[in-house]
Amino acid sequence: MSAVGVSSVPIGSIYVPRADVPVAELPALLLPAYGETVLMVGVVMVVVLAVGTPLGLLLHNVAPGGLFERPALHAVLGWLISVGRSLPFLILMASIVPFTRFITGTNIGIAAAVVPMSLAGIAFFTRIVENALRSVPPSIVRVARASGGSNLQIMRSAQFGEAVPAVLGGLTIQVIAMIEYSAIAGTIGAGGIGYVAVTYGYQRFDNTVMLATILILVATVAFVQVAGDRLVRWVTPQKRLQRA
Amino acid sequence: MISLLELTKTYGRGADAVIVLDRLNFEVGTGEIFAVTGPSGAGKSTLAQCINLLERPTSGSVVVNGEDLSSLPEKRLRAARRRIGTVFQSASLLSRRTASENIALPLEYLGVTPGEIRARVGELIDRVGLGPKAHSYPFQLSGGQAQRVGIARALALRPSILLADEATSGLDPDTTSSVVELLKQLRTDLDLTVVFITHEMDTVRQIADSVARLERGRIVETGRLVDLLTDHGSPLGRALQPRRGFAAADDGAATWYVTYDSTDVPGDWIQRVSADLAVPVHLLGASVETVHGINTGSATLGIAAASDDAVRAVLARYGLSGTPDVRREPGPGGAPVSPVRSGAVPALEGAA
Repeated sequence: MSAVGVSSVPIGSIYVPRADVPVAELPALLLPAYGETVLMVGVVMVVVLAVGTPLGLLLHNVAPGGLFERPALHAVLGWLISVGRSLPFLILMASIVPFTRFITGTNIGIAAAVVPMSLAGIAFFTRIVENALRSVPPSIVRVARASGGSNLQIMRSAQFGEAVPAVLGGLTIQVIAMIEYSAIAGTIGAGGIGYVAVTYGYQRFDNTVMLATILILVATVAFVQVAGDRLVRWVTPQKRLQRA
Repeated sequence: MISLLELTKTYGRGADAVIVLDRLNFEVGTGEIFAVTGPSGAGKSTLAQCINLLERPTSGSVVVNGEDLSSLPEKRLRAARRRIGTVFQSASLLSRRTASENIALPLEYLGVTPGEIRARVGELIDRVGLGPKAHSYPFQLSGGQAQRVGIARALALRPSILLADEATSGLDPDTTSSVVELLKQLRTDLDLTVVFITHEMDTVRQIADSVARLERGRIVETGRLVDLLTDHGSPLGRALQPRRGFAAADDGAATWYVTYDSTDVPGDWIQRVSADLAVPVHLLGASVETVHGINTGSATLGIAAASDDAVRAVLARYGLSGTPDVRREPGPGGAPVSPVRSGAVPALEGAA
Protein backbone atom coordinates (compact mmCIF):
# COMPACT_ATOMS: atom_id res chain seq x y z
CA MET A 1 0.00 0.00 0.00
CA SER A 2 2.70 2.32 0.89
CA ALA A 3 4.62 1.52 -2.27
CA VAL A 4 1.53 2.05 -4.41
CA GLY A 5 0.69 5.26 -2.64
CA VAL A 6 4.09 6.70 -3.08
CA SER A 7 4.34 5.90 -6.72
CA SER A 8 0.79 6.81 -7.76
CA VAL A 9 0.52 10.19 -6.14
CA PRO A 10 2.80 12.74 -7.67
CA ILE A 11 4.52 14.73 -5.03
CA GLY A 12 3.67 17.90 -6.85
CA SER A 13 -0.07 17.51 -6.26
CA ILE A 14 0.40 17.65 -2.48
CA TYR A 15 3.24 20.07 -2.33
CA VAL A 16 3.94 22.22 -5.28
CA PRO A 17 7.38 23.69 -4.84
CA ARG A 18 7.23 27.29 -5.92
CA ALA A 19 10.05 29.55 -6.67
CA ASP A 20 10.62 32.26 -4.02
CA VAL A 21 10.26 35.79 -5.28
CA PRO A 22 13.61 36.62 -6.87
CA VAL A 23 15.69 39.05 -4.87
CA ALA A 24 15.70 41.49 -7.75
CA GLU A 25 11.91 41.75 -7.54
CA LEU A 26 11.80 42.27 -3.79
CA PRO A 27 11.92 46.08 -3.90
CA ALA A 28 8.93 46.20 -6.23
CA LEU A 29 6.99 44.06 -3.75
CA LEU A 30 8.23 45.49 -0.48
CA LEU A 31 8.63 49.21 -1.10
CA PRO A 32 4.95 49.97 -1.78
CA ALA A 33 4.05 47.75 1.19
CA TYR A 34 6.53 49.63 3.36
CA GLY A 35 5.01 52.88 2.19
CA GLU A 36 1.59 51.62 3.25
CA THR A 37 2.89 50.68 6.68
CA VAL A 38 4.44 54.12 7.14
CA LEU A 39 1.22 55.76 5.99
CA MET A 40 -0.92 53.65 8.31
CA VAL A 41 1.28 54.18 11.35
CA GLY A 42 1.69 57.85 10.48
CA VAL A 43 -2.03 58.56 10.21
CA VAL A 44 -2.71 56.58 13.40
CA MET A 45 0.01 58.46 15.29
CA VAL A 46 -1.41 61.83 14.27
CA VAL A 47 -4.84 60.80 15.55
CA VAL A 48 -3.36 59.25 18.69
CA LEU A 49 -1.30 62.34 19.56
CA ALA A 50 -4.18 64.70 18.86
CA VAL A 51 -6.65 62.78 21.01
CA GLY A 52 -4.46 60.92 23.50
CA THR A 53 -2.50 63.94 24.75
CA PRO A 54 -5.50 66.02 25.87
CA LEU A 55 -7.19 62.87 27.12
CA GLY A 56 -4.15 61.99 29.24
CA LEU A 57 -4.07 65.52 30.67
CA LEU A 58 -7.79 65.32 31.38
CA LEU A 59 -7.51 61.92 33.03
CA HIS A 60 -4.62 63.11 35.21
CA ASN A 61 -6.37 66.28 36.33
CA VAL A 62 -9.84 64.91 37.05
CA ALA A 63 -8.18 62.38 39.33
CA PRO A 64 -8.03 63.11 43.08
CA GLY A 65 -5.32 65.71 43.60
CA GLY A 66 -5.60 66.97 40.02
CA LEU A 67 -6.25 70.56 38.97
CA PHE A 68 -10.00 70.00 38.57
CA GLU A 69 -11.03 66.89 40.44
CA ARG A 70 -14.06 65.04 39.03
CA PRO A 71 -14.06 61.61 40.67
CA ALA A 72 -17.02 60.28 38.64
CA LEU A 73 -15.59 61.36 35.29
CA HIS A 74 -12.23 59.93 36.29
CA ALA A 75 -13.79 56.57 37.10
CA VAL A 76 -15.68 56.41 33.80
CA LEU A 77 -12.70 57.51 31.69
CA GLY A 78 -10.34 55.17 33.48
CA TRP A 79 -12.71 52.27 33.00
CA LEU A 80 -13.16 52.96 29.27
CA ILE A 81 -9.45 53.17 28.71
CA SER A 82 -8.81 50.00 30.67
CA VAL A 83 -11.32 48.13 28.53
CA GLY A 84 -9.62 49.42 25.41
CA ARG A 85 -6.26 48.36 26.78
CA SER A 86 -7.36 44.92 27.92
CA LEU A 87 -8.68 43.58 24.60
CA PRO A 88 -6.06 41.86 22.43
CA PHE A 89 -5.76 43.93 19.27
CA LEU A 90 -6.98 41.18 16.94
CA ILE A 91 -10.16 40.82 18.97
CA LEU A 92 -10.69 44.58 19.29
CA MET A 93 -10.33 44.88 15.53
CA ALA A 94 -12.84 42.12 14.84
CA SER A 95 -15.34 43.27 17.43
CA ILE A 96 -15.64 46.83 16.16
CA VAL A 97 -16.09 45.99 12.48
CA PRO A 98 -19.59 47.56 12.39
CA PHE A 99 -18.20 50.75 13.89
CA THR A 100 -15.32 50.75 11.42
CA ARG A 101 -17.73 50.26 8.55
CA PHE A 102 -19.85 53.12 9.86
CA ILE A 103 -16.86 55.46 10.00
CA THR A 104 -15.03 54.49 6.80
CA GLY A 105 -17.69 52.71 4.74
CA THR A 106 -15.50 49.62 4.41
CA ASN A 107 -14.01 46.93 6.58
CA ILE A 108 -10.93 46.13 4.59
CA GLY A 109 -7.90 48.15 3.56
CA ILE A 110 -5.85 50.87 5.13
CA ALA A 111 -8.76 53.13 6.02
CA ALA A 112 -10.44 50.28 7.87
CA ALA A 113 -7.25 49.41 9.74
CA VAL A 114 -6.73 52.98 10.91
CA VAL A 115 -9.92 52.97 13.00
CA PRO A 116 -9.16 50.06 15.36
CA MET A 117 -5.47 51.00 15.44
CA SER A 118 -6.37 54.55 16.50
CA LEU A 119 -8.73 53.35 19.21
CA ALA A 120 -6.21 50.92 20.67
CA GLY A 121 -3.46 53.51 20.24
CA ILE A 122 -5.41 56.27 21.99
CA ALA A 123 -6.05 54.04 25.00
CA PHE A 124 -2.36 53.11 25.05
CA PHE A 125 -1.10 56.67 24.69
CA THR A 126 -3.53 58.14 27.21
CA ARG A 127 -2.00 55.88 29.84
CA ILE A 128 1.50 56.82 28.72
CA VAL A 129 0.71 60.53 29.08
CA GLU A 130 -1.01 59.99 32.43
CA ASN A 131 1.97 58.04 33.70
CA ALA A 132 4.40 60.69 32.50
CA LEU A 133 2.39 63.45 34.19
CA ARG A 134 2.34 61.53 37.43
CA SER A 135 6.13 61.72 37.57
CA VAL A 136 6.03 65.55 37.65
CA PRO A 137 6.52 66.61 41.29
CA PRO A 138 3.39 68.19 42.82
CA SER A 139 5.55 71.09 44.03
CA ILE A 140 5.99 72.18 40.40
CA VAL A 141 2.22 72.47 40.01
CA ARG A 142 2.02 74.43 43.27
CA VAL A 143 4.64 76.83 41.96
CA ALA A 144 2.68 77.29 38.74
CA ARG A 145 -0.56 77.93 40.62
CA ALA A 146 1.12 80.37 42.98
CA SER A 147 2.58 82.12 39.92
CA GLY A 148 -0.97 82.90 38.82
CA GLY A 149 -1.29 80.35 36.01
CA SER A 150 -4.66 79.29 34.63
CA ASN A 151 -5.38 75.57 34.47
CA LEU A 152 -4.60 75.53 30.77
CA GLN A 153 -1.32 77.40 31.30
CA ILE A 154 -0.35 75.10 34.15
CA MET A 155 -1.11 71.99 32.12
CA ARG A 156 0.89 73.25 29.18
CA SER A 157 3.98 74.72 30.77
CA ALA A 158 4.32 72.98 34.11
CA GLN A 159 2.72 69.57 33.74
CA PHE A 160 3.21 68.69 30.08
CA GLY A 161 6.36 70.79 29.75
CA GLU A 162 8.07 68.87 32.50
CA ALA A 163 6.74 65.53 31.29
CA VAL A 164 7.92 65.94 27.67
CA PRO A 165 10.94 63.61 27.97
CA ALA A 166 8.81 60.88 29.56
CA VAL A 167 6.08 61.37 26.97
CA LEU A 168 8.60 61.07 24.13
CA GLY A 169 10.04 57.93 25.69
CA GLY A 170 6.52 56.52 25.80
CA LEU A 171 5.87 57.72 22.26
CA THR A 172 8.79 55.61 21.05
CA ILE A 173 7.24 52.53 22.63
CA GLN A 174 3.91 53.53 21.11
CA VAL A 175 5.23 53.84 17.53
CA ILE A 176 6.82 50.42 17.79
CA ALA A 177 3.57 48.95 19.13
CA MET A 178 1.69 50.57 16.26
CA ILE A 179 4.03 48.98 13.70
CA GLU A 180 3.20 45.67 15.31
CA TYR A 181 -0.53 46.44 15.21
CA SER A 182 -0.25 47.33 11.53
CA ALA A 183 1.10 43.85 10.86
CA ILE A 184 -1.86 42.32 12.68
CA ALA A 185 -4.15 44.60 10.70
CA GLY A 186 -2.56 43.04 7.63
CA THR A 187 -4.73 40.00 8.26
CA ILE A 188 -7.83 42.02 7.34
CA GLY A 189 -6.19 43.04 4.13
CA ALA A 190 -4.91 46.35 5.38
CA GLY A 191 -1.80 46.08 3.27
CA GLY A 192 1.60 47.04 4.49
CA ILE A 193 4.70 45.09 5.27
CA GLY A 194 2.86 42.82 7.72
CA TYR A 195 0.41 41.82 5.02
CA VAL A 196 3.26 40.85 2.69
CA ALA A 197 4.89 38.85 5.47
CA VAL A 198 1.66 36.96 6.11
CA THR A 199 0.64 36.28 2.50
CA TYR A 200 4.05 35.59 0.99
CA GLY A 201 6.20 34.54 3.87
CA TYR A 202 3.69 32.56 5.91
CA GLN A 203 1.00 31.32 3.52
CA ARG A 204 3.30 30.69 0.53
CA PHE A 205 6.38 29.60 2.46
CA ASP A 206 8.42 32.21 0.67
CA ASN A 207 11.47 32.32 2.88
CA THR A 208 13.12 35.09 0.91
CA VAL A 209 10.20 37.46 1.44
CA MET A 210 9.86 36.37 5.06
CA LEU A 211 13.53 37.09 5.75
CA ALA A 212 13.35 40.41 3.92
CA THR A 213 10.28 41.58 5.89
CA ILE A 214 11.90 40.50 9.15
CA LEU A 215 15.05 42.49 8.30
CA ILE A 216 13.01 45.52 7.34
CA LEU A 217 10.94 45.39 10.51
CA VAL A 218 13.97 44.90 12.76
CA ALA A 219 15.75 47.80 11.06
CA THR A 220 12.66 50.00 11.30
CA VAL A 221 12.10 49.28 14.99
CA ALA A 222 15.80 49.85 15.71
CA PHE A 223 15.67 53.15 13.86
CA VAL A 224 12.56 54.29 15.74
CA GLN A 225 14.16 53.36 19.06
CA VAL A 226 17.41 55.20 18.30
CA ALA A 227 15.52 58.24 17.02
CA GLY A 228 13.31 58.19 20.11
CA ASP A 229 16.27 57.94 22.46
CA ARG A 230 17.96 60.84 20.68
CA LEU A 231 14.85 62.93 20.92
CA VAL A 232 14.49 62.24 24.63
CA ARG A 233 18.11 63.24 25.18
CA TRP A 234 17.66 66.38 23.17
CA VAL A 235 14.66 67.57 25.20
CA THR A 236 16.33 66.79 28.55
CA PRO A 237 18.81 69.61 29.26
CA GLN A 238 20.83 67.55 31.72
CA LYS A 239 21.38 64.72 29.23
CA ARG A 240 21.86 67.05 26.28
CA LEU A 241 24.46 69.27 27.91
CA GLN A 242 26.36 66.79 30.05
CA ARG A 243 27.12 64.58 27.09
CA ALA A 244 29.12 67.31 25.42
CA MET B 1 0.66 94.62 55.09
CA ILE B 2 -1.01 91.30 55.62
CA SER B 3 -3.29 90.20 58.41
CA LEU B 4 -4.91 86.94 59.29
CA LEU B 5 -8.27 87.17 61.01
CA GLU B 6 -9.58 84.11 62.83
CA LEU B 7 -8.11 81.96 60.08
CA THR B 8 -9.36 78.39 60.43
CA LYS B 9 -8.78 75.41 58.20
CA THR B 10 -10.39 72.04 58.74
CA TYR B 11 -10.18 68.94 56.61
CA GLY B 12 -13.02 66.48 56.44
CA ARG B 13 -16.51 66.91 57.77
CA GLY B 14 -18.60 66.11 60.81
CA ALA B 15 -17.07 63.78 63.37
CA ASP B 16 -14.01 63.07 61.22
CA ALA B 17 -13.11 66.72 60.76
CA VAL B 18 -9.54 67.60 61.63
CA ILE B 19 -8.79 71.16 62.64
CA VAL B 20 -5.44 71.97 61.10
CA LEU B 21 -5.46 75.70 61.80
CA ASP B 22 -7.44 77.04 64.70
CA ARG B 23 -8.47 80.71 64.65
CA LEU B 24 -5.11 82.24 63.81
CA ASN B 25 -4.69 85.97 64.17
CA PHE B 26 -1.64 87.97 63.32
CA GLU B 27 -0.66 91.06 61.45
CA VAL B 28 2.58 91.73 59.62
CA GLY B 29 3.35 95.34 58.84
CA THR B 30 4.98 96.66 55.68
CA GLY B 31 8.72 96.14 55.80
CA GLU B 32 8.46 93.62 58.61
CA ILE B 33 9.77 90.05 58.60
CA PHE B 34 7.48 87.79 60.56
CA ALA B 35 8.65 84.25 61.22
CA VAL B 36 6.27 81.40 61.93
CA THR B 37 7.93 78.43 63.49
CA GLY B 38 6.86 75.18 65.00
CA PRO B 39 7.36 71.43 64.94
CA SER B 40 6.46 69.17 62.02
CA GLY B 41 2.73 68.66 61.74
CA ALA B 42 1.91 71.93 63.51
CA GLY B 43 0.14 73.23 60.40
CA LYS B 44 2.92 75.35 58.92
CA SER B 45 2.54 74.18 55.35
CA THR B 46 -1.25 74.46 55.49
CA LEU B 47 -0.81 78.00 56.79
CA ALA B 48 1.51 78.74 53.87
CA GLN B 49 -1.05 77.43 51.40
CA CYS B 50 -3.77 79.56 52.97
CA ILE B 51 -1.60 82.67 52.86
CA ASN B 52 -0.72 82.30 49.18
CA LEU B 53 -4.34 81.35 48.48
CA LEU B 54 -3.64 77.89 47.10
CA GLU B 55 -6.04 76.67 49.76
CA ARG B 56 -9.18 78.46 50.78
CA PRO B 57 -9.60 78.82 54.54
CA THR B 58 -12.64 77.11 56.06
CA SER B 59 -13.41 80.33 57.88
CA GLY B 60 -11.67 83.57 58.72
CA SER B 61 -9.78 85.65 56.23
CA VAL B 62 -6.49 86.70 54.73
CA VAL B 63 -6.43 90.46 54.32
CA VAL B 64 -3.78 92.10 52.13
CA ASN B 65 -3.53 95.88 52.20
CA GLY B 66 -7.08 96.15 53.46
CA GLU B 67 -8.66 93.75 50.96
CA ASP B 68 -10.04 90.38 52.02
CA LEU B 69 -8.58 88.02 49.42
CA SER B 70 -9.66 84.67 50.78
CA SER B 71 -13.35 85.18 50.02
CA LEU B 72 -12.87 86.12 46.35
CA PRO B 73 -14.50 83.96 43.66
CA GLU B 74 -12.20 81.45 41.95
CA LYS B 75 -11.41 83.62 38.91
CA ARG B 76 -10.38 86.65 40.91
CA LEU B 77 -8.52 84.45 43.36
CA ARG B 78 -6.05 83.62 40.60
CA ALA B 79 -5.36 87.31 40.04
CA ALA B 80 -5.12 87.85 43.79
CA ARG B 81 -2.38 85.18 44.03
CA ARG B 82 -0.19 87.46 41.97
CA ARG B 83 -0.06 89.95 44.82
CA ILE B 84 1.70 87.42 47.00
CA GLY B 85 5.06 86.05 45.89
CA THR B 86 5.97 82.65 47.23
CA VAL B 87 9.46 81.23 47.67
CA PHE B 88 9.15 77.47 48.00
CA GLN B 89 11.44 74.95 49.60
CA SER B 90 14.23 73.84 47.24
CA ALA B 91 13.05 76.36 44.64
CA SER B 92 11.05 73.81 42.58
CA LEU B 93 12.29 75.07 39.26
CA LEU B 94 11.06 73.73 35.93
CA SER B 95 13.91 71.46 34.88
CA ARG B 96 13.65 72.14 31.15
CA ARG B 97 13.79 75.91 31.47
CA THR B 98 16.82 78.07 32.10
CA ALA B 99 17.10 80.30 35.16
CA SER B 100 15.78 83.23 33.10
CA GLU B 101 12.92 81.23 31.67
CA ASN B 102 11.94 80.09 35.16
CA ILE B 103 11.85 83.66 36.40
CA ALA B 104 9.76 84.60 33.38
CA LEU B 105 7.03 82.06 34.20
CA PRO B 106 4.66 84.33 36.17
CA LEU B 107 5.12 87.06 33.56
CA GLU B 108 4.22 84.66 30.77
CA TYR B 109 1.13 83.57 32.67
CA LEU B 110 0.12 87.19 33.02
CA GLY B 111 0.57 87.73 29.28
CA VAL B 112 3.38 90.28 29.42
CA THR B 113 5.01 91.00 26.05
CA PRO B 114 8.32 89.23 25.30
CA GLY B 115 10.22 92.51 25.28
CA GLU B 116 8.96 93.51 28.70
CA ILE B 117 9.61 90.00 30.02
CA ARG B 118 13.23 90.23 28.88
CA ALA B 119 13.73 93.57 30.58
CA ARG B 120 12.08 92.55 33.83
CA VAL B 121 13.87 89.18 34.02
CA GLY B 122 17.22 90.86 33.38
CA GLU B 123 16.53 93.29 36.19
CA LEU B 124 15.51 90.51 38.59
CA ILE B 125 18.40 88.22 37.80
CA ASP B 126 20.85 91.03 38.49
CA ARG B 127 19.11 91.87 41.71
CA VAL B 128 19.55 88.35 43.06
CA GLY B 129 23.16 88.32 41.83
CA LEU B 130 22.82 85.59 39.22
CA GLY B 131 23.66 87.50 36.04
CA PRO B 132 26.26 85.02 34.75
CA LYS B 133 23.91 82.09 35.40
CA ALA B 134 20.95 83.51 33.47
CA HIS B 135 21.09 80.82 30.81
CA SER B 136 21.98 77.90 33.06
CA TYR B 137 19.55 75.06 33.61
CA PRO B 138 18.50 74.10 37.14
CA PHE B 139 20.80 71.06 37.20
CA GLN B 140 23.72 73.42 36.68
CA LEU B 141 22.84 75.55 39.71
CA SER B 142 23.81 75.03 43.33
CA GLY B 143 21.09 74.89 45.97
CA GLY B 144 21.66 78.52 46.88
CA GLN B 145 21.62 79.68 43.26
CA ALA B 146 18.42 77.75 42.59
CA GLN B 147 16.84 79.39 45.63
CA ARG B 148 17.86 82.81 44.30
CA VAL B 149 16.06 81.97 41.07
CA GLY B 150 13.05 80.99 43.19
CA ILE B 151 13.20 84.35 44.95
CA ALA B 152 13.48 86.26 41.68
CA ARG B 153 10.50 84.33 40.30
CA ALA B 154 8.47 85.14 43.41
CA LEU B 155 9.26 88.84 42.91
CA ALA B 156 8.56 88.89 39.16
CA LEU B 157 5.08 90.40 39.49
CA ARG B 158 6.15 93.01 42.07
CA PRO B 159 4.14 91.55 44.95
CA SER B 160 3.83 93.51 48.16
CA ILE B 161 3.85 90.32 50.22
CA LEU B 162 6.58 87.70 50.10
CA LEU B 163 5.87 84.30 51.60
CA ALA B 164 8.86 82.07 52.26
CA ASP B 165 7.74 78.50 52.86
CA GLU B 166 10.73 76.60 54.30
CA ALA B 167 12.77 78.59 51.81
CA THR B 168 16.11 77.84 53.47
CA SER B 169 15.39 74.31 54.64
CA GLY B 170 17.85 71.88 53.18
CA LEU B 171 20.49 74.53 52.45
CA ASP B 172 23.85 74.49 54.20
CA PRO B 173 24.45 77.17 56.88
CA ASP B 174 26.56 79.47 54.69
CA THR B 175 24.06 79.34 51.85
CA THR B 176 21.21 79.88 54.30
CA SER B 177 22.98 83.01 55.58
CA SER B 178 23.43 84.41 52.10
CA VAL B 179 19.80 83.73 51.17
CA VAL B 180 18.70 85.33 54.45
CA GLU B 181 20.84 88.40 53.73
CA LEU B 182 19.32 88.65 50.27
CA LEU B 183 15.79 88.49 51.66
CA LYS B 184 16.56 91.12 54.28
CA GLN B 185 18.01 93.42 51.67
CA LEU B 186 15.05 92.91 49.34
CA ARG B 187 12.71 93.63 52.20
CA THR B 188 14.42 96.97 52.74
CA ASP B 189 14.79 97.87 49.06
CA LEU B 190 11.29 96.88 47.98
CA ASP B 191 9.45 97.54 51.22
CA LEU B 192 8.19 93.97 51.30
CA THR B 193 6.08 92.37 53.95
CA VAL B 194 7.69 89.00 54.58
CA VAL B 195 6.10 85.95 56.17
CA PHE B 196 8.89 83.46 56.78
CA ILE B 197 7.76 79.95 57.65
CA THR B 198 10.47 77.63 58.91
CA HIS B 199 11.30 75.03 61.52
CA GLU B 200 14.90 76.25 61.78
CA MET B 201 15.41 78.36 64.89
CA ASP B 202 18.89 79.47 63.82
CA THR B 203 17.41 81.01 60.68
CA VAL B 204 14.65 82.71 62.66
CA ARG B 205 17.30 84.42 64.82
CA GLN B 206 19.03 85.65 61.69
CA ILE B 207 16.04 87.02 59.87
CA ALA B 208 12.96 87.72 61.97
CA ASP B 209 11.66 90.94 63.46
CA SER B 210 8.81 89.08 65.13
CA VAL B 211 8.15 85.42 65.73
CA ALA B 212 5.11 83.24 66.31
CA ARG B 213 5.18 79.65 67.41
CA LEU B 214 2.58 77.36 65.89
CA GLU B 215 1.69 74.20 67.76
CA ARG B 216 -1.13 71.83 66.86
CA GLY B 217 -2.75 74.49 64.69
CA ARG B 218 -2.62 77.28 67.24
CA ILE B 219 -0.32 80.18 67.82
CA VAL B 220 0.94 79.45 71.32
CA GLU B 221 3.34 82.35 71.65
CA THR B 222 4.24 85.42 69.66
CA GLY B 223 6.36 88.50 70.13
CA ARG B 224 9.26 90.58 68.93
CA LEU B 225 12.41 88.52 68.48
CA VAL B 226 14.48 90.69 70.81
CA ASP B 227 11.88 90.54 73.56
CA LEU B 228 11.61 86.78 73.30
CA LEU B 229 15.37 86.26 73.31
CA THR B 230 15.80 88.34 76.45
CA ASP B 231 12.91 86.82 78.35
CA HIS B 232 13.96 83.68 80.22
CA GLY B 233 10.34 82.96 81.05
CA SER B 234 9.44 82.51 77.39
CA PRO B 235 9.46 78.92 76.08
CA LEU B 236 9.78 80.27 72.54
CA GLY B 237 12.66 82.48 73.62
CA ARG B 238 14.42 79.47 75.11
CA ALA B 239 13.70 77.41 72.01
CA LEU B 240 15.27 80.17 69.91
CA GLN B 241 18.57 79.96 71.82
CA PRO B 242 21.11 77.81 70.04
CA ARG B 243 21.82 74.55 71.82
CA ARG B 244 25.41 73.53 71.99
CA GLY B 245 27.38 71.04 73.98
CA PHE B 246 29.52 72.21 76.87
CA ALA B 247 32.51 71.08 78.87
CA ALA B 248 32.34 69.39 82.26
CA ALA B 249 32.62 71.45 85.42
CA ASP B 250 35.43 70.81 87.91
CA ASP B 251 34.80 68.56 90.88
CA GLY B 252 32.85 70.43 93.48
CA ALA B 253 31.64 73.10 91.09
CA ALA B 254 27.99 73.38 90.09
CA THR B 255 27.00 73.77 86.46
CA TRP B 256 24.89 76.83 85.72
CA TYR B 257 22.91 77.61 82.57
CA VAL B 258 22.76 81.37 82.18
CA THR B 259 20.72 83.35 79.66
CA TYR B 260 20.76 87.03 78.78
CA ASP B 261 17.59 88.29 80.39
CA SER B 262 17.75 91.96 79.52
CA THR B 263 18.92 94.20 76.74
CA ASP B 264 21.82 95.77 78.63
CA VAL B 265 24.05 92.97 79.86
CA PRO B 266 27.61 94.33 80.23
CA GLY B 267 30.22 92.74 78.01
CA ASP B 268 32.51 91.82 80.91
CA TRP B 269 29.81 90.22 83.02
CA ILE B 270 31.77 87.01 83.69
CA GLN B 271 34.59 88.90 85.41
CA ARG B 272 32.11 90.97 87.37
CA VAL B 273 30.12 87.93 88.51
CA SER B 274 33.34 86.21 89.53
CA ALA B 275 34.48 89.28 91.46
CA ASP B 276 31.14 89.77 93.17
CA LEU B 277 30.95 86.12 94.20
CA ALA B 278 34.67 86.03 95.10
CA VAL B 279 35.02 82.61 93.45
CA PRO B 280 36.40 81.63 90.05
CA VAL B 281 33.83 81.27 87.29
CA HIS B 282 34.66 78.70 84.64
CA LEU B 283 33.27 79.17 81.15
CA LEU B 284 32.09 75.74 79.94
CA GLY B 285 30.20 76.80 76.86
CA ALA B 286 28.61 79.90 75.39
CA SER B 287 26.80 81.33 72.42
CA VAL B 288 26.45 85.08 72.25
CA GLU B 289 25.40 87.20 69.31
CA THR B 290 23.95 90.56 68.42
CA VAL B 291 20.35 90.48 67.23
CA HIS B 292 18.85 93.79 66.14
CA GLY B 293 21.62 95.62 67.99
CA ILE B 294 21.04 93.79 71.26
CA ASN B 295 23.44 91.26 72.75
CA THR B 296 21.68 88.00 73.49
CA GLY B 297 22.72 84.48 74.13
CA SER B 298 23.41 81.93 76.77
CA ALA B 299 26.37 80.50 78.63
CA THR B 300 27.12 77.46 80.71
CA LEU B 301 29.30 78.17 83.72
CA GLY B 302 31.05 76.11 86.37
CA ILE B 303 30.77 77.93 89.72
CA ALA B 304 32.15 76.48 92.92
CA ALA B 305 30.93 77.43 96.38
CA ALA B 306 28.39 80.08 97.26
CA SER B 307 24.72 79.34 97.70
CA ASP B 308 22.47 79.04 94.69
CA ASP B 309 20.54 82.08 95.81
CA ALA B 310 23.69 84.17 95.99
CA VAL B 311 24.63 83.18 92.46
CA ARG B 312 21.13 84.01 91.21
CA ALA B 313 21.21 87.39 92.87
CA VAL B 314 24.57 88.33 91.40
CA LEU B 315 23.52 87.15 87.92
CA ALA B 316 20.32 89.18 88.14
CA ARG B 317 22.43 92.26 88.97
CA TYR B 318 23.84 92.10 85.41
CA GLY B 319 20.57 91.29 83.66
CA LEU B 320 21.17 87.56 83.54
CA SER B 321 19.04 84.63 84.54
CA GLY B 322 20.59 81.40 85.79
CA THR B 323 19.49 77.88 86.58
CA PRO B 324 21.79 75.43 88.35
CA ASP B 325 22.37 71.88 87.17
CA VAL B 326 21.77 71.65 83.49
CA ARG B 327 21.07 67.95 83.24
CA ARG B 328 17.83 68.68 81.38
CA GLU B 329 19.55 70.72 78.72
CA PRO B 330 20.01 68.81 75.48
CA GLY B 331 23.44 68.36 73.97
CA PRO B 332 24.26 69.16 70.35
CA GLY B 333 22.43 66.11 69.05
CA GLY B 334 19.28 67.06 70.90
CA ALA B 335 19.67 64.17 73.33
CA PRO B 336 19.80 64.92 77.05
CA VAL B 337 23.32 65.25 78.40
CA SER B 338 23.95 63.13 81.44
CA PRO B 339 25.27 65.12 84.39
CA VAL B 340 28.92 64.17 84.12
CA ARG B 341 31.02 66.08 86.65
CA SER B 342 34.48 65.00 85.67
CA GLY B 343 36.51 62.85 83.36
CA ALA B 344 34.47 62.36 80.24
CA VAL B 345 33.51 65.15 77.88
CA PRO B 346 29.73 65.55 78.01
CA ALA B 347 29.52 67.36 74.71
CA LEU B 348 30.85 64.35 72.87
CA GLU B 349 28.68 61.96 74.81
CA GLY B 350 25.66 64.03 73.96
CA ALA B 351 26.49 63.87 70.29
CA ALA B 352 27.04 60.12 70.20
